[in-house]
Amino acid sequence: MIFLAPLALFYGVYFLFSFGLLGVVSTQRVGLTFQHAVDVGWQNFLLVLTDPAFQISLFNTVLFGVVSVLISLTLGFVLAMMLASGLRLRRVFYIVFLLPSLIPLSLFATVFGRMLETSDGAINQFLRGVGLPFLAQDWLGNPTAAYVAIFVLLTYMIGLPIMYYTTDVTQVNASILEAATLDGASIWQIYRIILYPLLRTTHITVILSVLLGSFRAFDIIFFSTGGQPGGRTAIAGTYIYQATLGADRVGFAAAASIIVLVIALTISLVQVLVQRKKKAS
Amino acid sequence: MKFTRSLLGVTAAVSAVVLLAGCGSSGGVGGAEPVAQNTGPVTINYWTWFPPQATLDAAIAAFEKQNPDITVKLRTFEAADYQKQLPLALGGGEDLDVVGVQVSAMTNTVKDYLTPVSEWGDDLLDGVEPSMVKQTEEIASDGVLYSIPLGSIGSPVLYYNAEILDSLGLSVPKTGGEWKTAVDAVKAARADVTPVVFAGDPWWQEEMLFGIAEQDSPGLSDDIIGGDGAWDQPALVAGLAAYKSLFDDGIVSTDVLSLQGSRPSELFTAGKALFYLDGSWQNSLLSADYRGANKIALKDVGAAPLPVLNGGDPAVRALAEGGLAIPANSKNTAAAKKFIAFMLGKDAADVWAKDLVLVPSRVGYELPDTVLQSAAAQDGFANVSQVISAPTSKRDSNQDFLNQVEGNAILDVLRGATTPEDAAAHMQAEWESGRYPHGDEK
Repeated sequence: MIFLAPLALFYGVYFLFSFGLLGVVSTQRVGLTFQHAVDVGWQNFLLVLTDPAFQISLFNTVLFGVVSVLISLTLGFVLAMMLASGLRLRRVFYIVFLLPSLIPLSLFATVFGRMLETSDGAINQFLRGVGLPFLAQDWLGNPTAAYVAIFVLLTYMIGLPIMYYTTDVTQVNASILEAATLDGASIWQIYRIILYPLLRTTHITVILSVLLGSFRAFDIIFFSTGGQPGGRTAIAGTYIYQATLGADRVGFAAAASIIVLVIALTISLVQVLVQRKKKAS
Repeated sequence: MKFTRSLLGVTAAVSAVVLLAGCGSSGGVGGAEPVAQNTGPVTINYWTWFPPQATLDAAIAAFEKQNPDITVKLRTFEAADYQKQLPLALGGGEDLDVVGVQVSAMTNTVKDYLTPVSEWGDDLLDGVEPSMVKQTEEIASDGVLYSIPLGSIGSPVLYYNAEILDSLGLSVPKTGGEWKTAVDAVKAARADVTPVVFAGDPWWQEEMLFGIAEQDSPGLSDDIIGGDGAWDQPALVAGLAAYKSLFDDGIVSTDVLSLQGSRPSELFTAGKALFYLDGSWQNSLLSADYRGANKIALKDVGAAPLPVLNGGDPAVRALAEGGLAIPANSKNTAAAKKFIAFMLGKDAADVWAKDLVLVPSRVGYELPDTVLQSAAAQDGFANVSQVISAPTSKRDSNQDFLNQVEGNAILDVLRGATTPEDAAAHMQAEWESGRYPHGDEK
């Protein structure tokens, strides 16, 4: 504790100052120079909460988070179990699945964004090339197609959940698996009936990290769809970024940031309470 | 349990700090105390986003040769990043002596940290185009001149691949009908060439909308963005409908709207597009030397105003750009002024103006004959410069409104997701919502 104190103080001062400044600025109409601030009380919060664009961005943030969680708990889990079961070339597969999570997201998303171009994009070119031109889409112009594109992009982000599962599955008592095998359980039954419940704490870690990660997914959206079409795939991060671009809008952006922060903290709190309730029962 | 406590603890601490901080006074910098000035040989810090580093290095070398007691320490930024970095640096007391100011996008976000030109550079204004000085003055919410512009820019401009156009026996389109003829011709003859490209990003849609709408209604942008006109007025609705007609008539494909960032430029410079719409900051493409230096294999490029769609006259929104200013906390004001005077002069203009990004603000300045070699380039630059010198509106924007509301509303019209009337009504409702300070609210 004594060794951690200086570091805790250093971070504490930084975070508390930042949050304090955010709180003050959120009640002002002020620009990036922080001069000539006009106190507006709660007006910024009211304007943010009643903004349809903010509501859409918040909905998308949660939606993309939920989709990421579902992908992680299903595909991520299955792939991790396969990799942990002595699959041939598993190191190659590890690299393939982990790579999108290890390279800078902005770079990955930019490349993906280029692939979404209607005319020359790699995805439509591929679909036309394999005789499926009817599947080629206006990925950035059609809301449904744009959502599908983002879900595909999020699927590429399962590297870290796979890592969590493969790390924790090694802690499972091998005798349980041996007993199940002797009783004639199939591999899918072992996954579904034994391993999936046994890795409950890993699921919780995955859910929390992925869900909260969705609030920091600015670069994924900004560099791929840019919020298109018509702002319908924007998320909280891109909304706040856009809000800082105008004159005298820093207070507005600060209010939006605080609302998002409160929501993220609430999710964490709910998650912890649910976990505690499960443990108690 | 521990985690819950920690979380609640952090939340409580944050709330406490917010409340405590809220008891303090609003932020801001101190009063305008005179800043002690350095004497003798000095180094001046210069931040800007324009001209490009290589061009600036050449100009700075020439300046330092003339002024051996002044060293210029340069730092350049990418344009969008600069809009955030400079206000924060000035607010943090960064030691800066000369700063570039994006006249439209940045004047009001940094003016509080700049010394008005009247306090250091009135004598430099004699050689500067008065209209550009006036534009720079008027863009500031208090009507004070804070920077001296190097030149001006305008948009939209129609760039074209002169080689392809000539090979098809076509002339530069001046009307929507002629444009349609050219597009049909290139579609029939060159399947590998996209007839028209431009950025599908929200910010560019405003340039297109007013470039089209002001052909019939000059001053529309000034009326709405700079004045108290409404977004849902008939002239703007007609402009939206006319812009949409480019897609309905087959001049532009909706595929183009998926082109983001530099992609339209990449397609055009690769010879894969006949027409490319952008701002006059792409005038560099007219220079054979520039194309050669940047490995752009286009033989000839021309430029023209956007073709007139429904009668009226060619329109362009233009504004002084490349403002040079001196921060209020500079300790080297005299040296900074010397440098700005040099940058505004002919010697420096000969270095940076050949990039063609700005139409220089220096009165009577003419480009060296060697810069533009083909008839298409010479005529194009002359025509575009002429339109920019008499703009239909100031190229002013409400950046946050544009990116969050306006651009997306226009894109929805182009994609057929909404009608021009509904889009205009939506823009007006958001404009009045209080979320986007403008006019007297700023």
